[in-house]
Amino acid sequence: MRFIERESGLKKVLRSFDSFIAINLALAVAFFTLFLILPVLSSAVEAFLDKGAISLRPIIEVLTNPEYVRLPPSLEVVRVEPVYGIVNGSVVPLGYIVSIGRYGPDFGKLVNSLFVSFTTAAIATVLGVIAAFVMSRYRFPGKSVFGVLLIVPLLATPFVNGYVIGRVFGRDGLINMFVREVLGFRNVTIELVGLPAVILVQSLSFFPIVYLNAYASMINLDPSLEEQAENLGSSGLRLFRTITFPLSLPGVAAGAALVFIFSLEDLGAPIGVKAAFGLGLHNKLLSYDVYDHFRKAYALELVSRSAYAVTFLMLLISSVGFILIRSYVSLRQYAMLSKGGRWAPRVRSVKGWRKVAVPLGLAIILAITSFPQIGTVLMAFSDWAITGTAPRNFRIEYFLTIASDADIVRAIGNSVRYSLMALAVMVLVGGGLAYITSRRRVPGSGVLDLLATLPIAIPGIVIGVGYMTFFNTYFRGTILSPVDYPTNLLVFTYSARRIPFVVRPIYAGLQQVHVSLEEAAHNLGASRNRVYLTVILPLIIGNVVAGALTAFVYSMNEVSTSLLLGARDPERAPLTYWISDRIGGQTLGAVSAAAAACVLLMILQLASIAISNTILRQRVSFLGV
Amino acid sequence: MSIELVQVSKRFGKVLAVDKVSVEIEKGEFFTFLGPSGCGKTTTLRIIAGLEIPDEGRVIMDGADITYLPPHKRDTAMVFQNYALWPHMTVFENVAYGLKVRKYPKEEIRRKVKEVLELVRLEGLEDRYPTQLSGGQQQRVALARALVVEPKALLLDEPLSNLDAKLRIEMREELKRIQKSLNITAVYVTHDQEEAMVLSDRIAVMNRGRVVQIGSPEELYGRPKTLFVATFIGKYNILEGVVREVEGDTVSIESSGIRIRGVLPSSDVKPSVGEVVYAVFRPHGAYLKPSSDRDNEFFGKISLVSYLGEHLEVRVETRLGKMLIYLPPDFRLPLGESIKFYVPQHNVLVYPKKGEEVYSV
Repeated sequence: MRFIERESGLKKVLRSFDSFIAINLALAVAFFTLFLILPVLSSAVEAFLDKGAISLRPIIEVLTNPEYVRLPPSLEVVRVEPVYGIVNGSVVPLGYIVSIGRYGPDFGKLVNSLFVSFTTAAIATVLGVIAAFVMSRYRFPGKSVFGVLLIVPLLATPFVNGYVIGRVFGRDGLINMFVREVLGFRNVTIELVGLPAVILVQSLSFFPIVYLNAYASMINLDPSLEEQAENLGSSGLRLFRTITFPLSLPGVAAGAALVFIFSLEDLGAPIGVKAAFGLGLHNKLLSYDVYDHFRKAYALELVSRSAYAVTFLMLLISSVGFILIRSYVSLRQYAMLSKGGRWAPRVRSVKGWRKVAVPLGLAIILAITSFPQIGTVLMAFSDWAITGTAPRNFRIEYFLTIASDADIVRAIGNSVRYSLMALAVMVLVGGGLAYITSRRRVPGSGVLDLLATLPIAIPGIVIGVGYMTFFNTYFRGTILSPVDYPTNLLVFTYSARRIPFVVRPIYAGLQQVHVSLEEAAHNLGASRNRVYLTVILPLIIGNVVAGALTAFVYSMNEVSTSLLLGARDPERAPLTYWISDRIGGQTLGAVSAAAAACVLLMILQLASIAISNTILRQRVSFLGV
Repeated sequence: MSIELVQVSKRFGKVLAVDKVSVEIEKGEFFTFLGPSGCGKTTTLRIIAGLEIPDEGRVIMDGADITYLPPHKRDTAMVFQNYALWPHMTVFENVAYGLKVRKYPKEEIRRKVKEVLELVRLEGLEDRYPTQLSGGQQQRVALARALVVEPKALLLDEPLSNLDAKLRIEMREELKRIQKSLNITAVYVTHDQEEAMVLSDRIAVMNRGRVVQIGSPEELYGRPKTLFVATFIGKYNILEGVVREVEGDTVSIESSGIRIRGVLPSSDVKPSVGEVVYAVFRPHGAYLKPSSDRDNEFFGKISLVSYLGEHLEVRVETRLGKMLIYLPPDFRLPLGESIKFYVPQHNVLVYPKKGEEVYSV
């Protein structure tokens, strides 16, 4: 009888790393270290450097600068100004302009950003929760149609959404046409600009994120919890307030936190609104500030210290928010009390006048919230962008301009190329990562789990700035140099930012594949690689495809790093860079071309959602903490 | 294949799932780990399969130390509690998987799968998917998948627990038939003592990660070494008392003023006079007529009679509490009637109270 020597503790740890796990783990660690952690850290370090020495000065300078923290703030939200004109040689009052947001609120860029993000999150939460409650608890005419349409506001139309708002709320916009022509108030002009305009654009675009998360929570609630409350005499609003809402709070909170972070880092709305109104308070935001600093600096070395300090503050705000919400959500996972199979969610038919009121109310919410998308389509197919006021002269020529716009055509090719390359990286790294976190108790798998969701919480601008400082310092002269080949880095910013979209569905798929299916194959003599290829992959292939599609689409419409890095090499810049260029362009039809490009992006997104839903046979809530 | 576990322990976090388990399983033996849920029996089986690596101890198969050998290099085949049939493969593909891994030629795979499906009586279902099969059929596919690779040992993790009662008994006989006809070593895990009794050559009763007793079904039932085994297997009556006299392996105890004579189950324990003990006897250990003058005598009133086919289960209210006895089915006495019955001294087992555990559901 021959005994093998007893294993040491270290050997035991090493045993859990067979070659399959080891390769995937190494890949994931290398990827996140090089393309997320180090760049983000290096951007943070820059914030504490002043003339080569460690210093708090850049941060303090930002915090004490009235540009960033304005004391006292301007709270003049509405200003009514008379307008004079010359009639027959003499100056006469023509009427009034009611300006909302042009002169205030303004708290300085830092507080403005917080204000916009909080307000946007709050409005999106109210809209999202109402829609989720109605959709998850009631049956009414046209419900399935609404289920699909509620996704429309989520379709990204970067920059153009802000511009559309300008066309609606501008001095020559639709609203004023309505006020003058229909209501007959010929001497009043209303405009909505500044922070309120940004809040409006963002609330409309981001509310489906809360909706999807809240809806998923409510659908997964054990119906007996609500039935028990009803049984004890609770109903209607009280039931919602005391049972349904508190129990779905983890989902709602996750959605709200995401909206907060997305709003904080958003560049699309400030740039889009600027295109319609010119520079204004809507540009006094941290995200625009950093973008502007980098855009204006000819060389990276010339970027002002305060840009790094602002980048760091954005990172700080979003990561604190992310950590708080993550611990809150994991503390409150009490929504799933019962075990066992899925239950049929509680759905009841609406009766009487509500049969009309509920769909009508939803339709109104939907019409308002999807106006940026509708407006984008109108703009691409009419001369609204040129003649102003109302969309007229519908024609296909504007839409076709993109075919003859060499920059846009080339940019589409660039975007597809970068996104596909990023996709390969994401599936390779993300697949292994999902497997390790769902299956193995290797040391550090908790950290990997965090890393897989962290990119959602890091503002794209922080990543973009991080890439520029990190790769300029350590990869100078290589193909990863942000000076010589800035757009090469886009492959990695896309993969680092969008990898959660791949990891999540694969992870979810793996959770549904019982471990014993793997063990049975292993037990019959199959190696780990063989088990992965013959048992696991065929069972989760749908999830892989769905995740890959989503990640591809979200890479195609990525804005922050596309703008920051794309601006350094316009020839090779991606589509979103050129949309931002066209939307601010002065040439005839430029805005229509931008709108047309956004229509193409929307079609791409719709196709991917449709395919994913068909593959996974359920609506995927692909955004969540 | 013979399997030996030497002082095997496994910890999950703070929970000691398996605690210094040592067993020797003979070639061709049907060996069962029996115990309540959470006793460590499944973990022990997974250690044999290589799906868990023990923190301490050795796993030896046919004389070779395989403690750290990965599962796919061990010649064992496992049948999982939930069958673990791959939903994306047909019955044929499921069964053929292990053969493909072993690189058998196509023709031979076809022949072997056909043979094993005949053995488990599933001919003609090759092209079905697992979801198109009944529970019993799924169970047999799982068994066929394990058997077809001709493993040296068959490992079964509660394979019958998801079947309904009638099917369970049918499959139980089937399993025994197949195991004996192939003369394969089988290691079985269950919490169902009846199943264990019917199937096994030997049983290891486990509790709290430890093996408390190993023996044939007859030994475990007739001579349970510990109070836990006595109370876990079969129905029983239990009386608390104080030791008055110890003489060789016979003990005389007093319970509520009544003298009861019993025997010690093993020579390891020797209670002293004055110690609190439990006296345990089985319902069928009671008789209406005494067999010798050393029998224990009990009086009481009949409070419940259940007809169980081969015998009557009679509940009697005695001065010592409720007792359960089995009587011949032709016995007739109305409820409330007084009854006197005798329990021979060798049918009463005495266990010390200290440090012992009564199994209760």
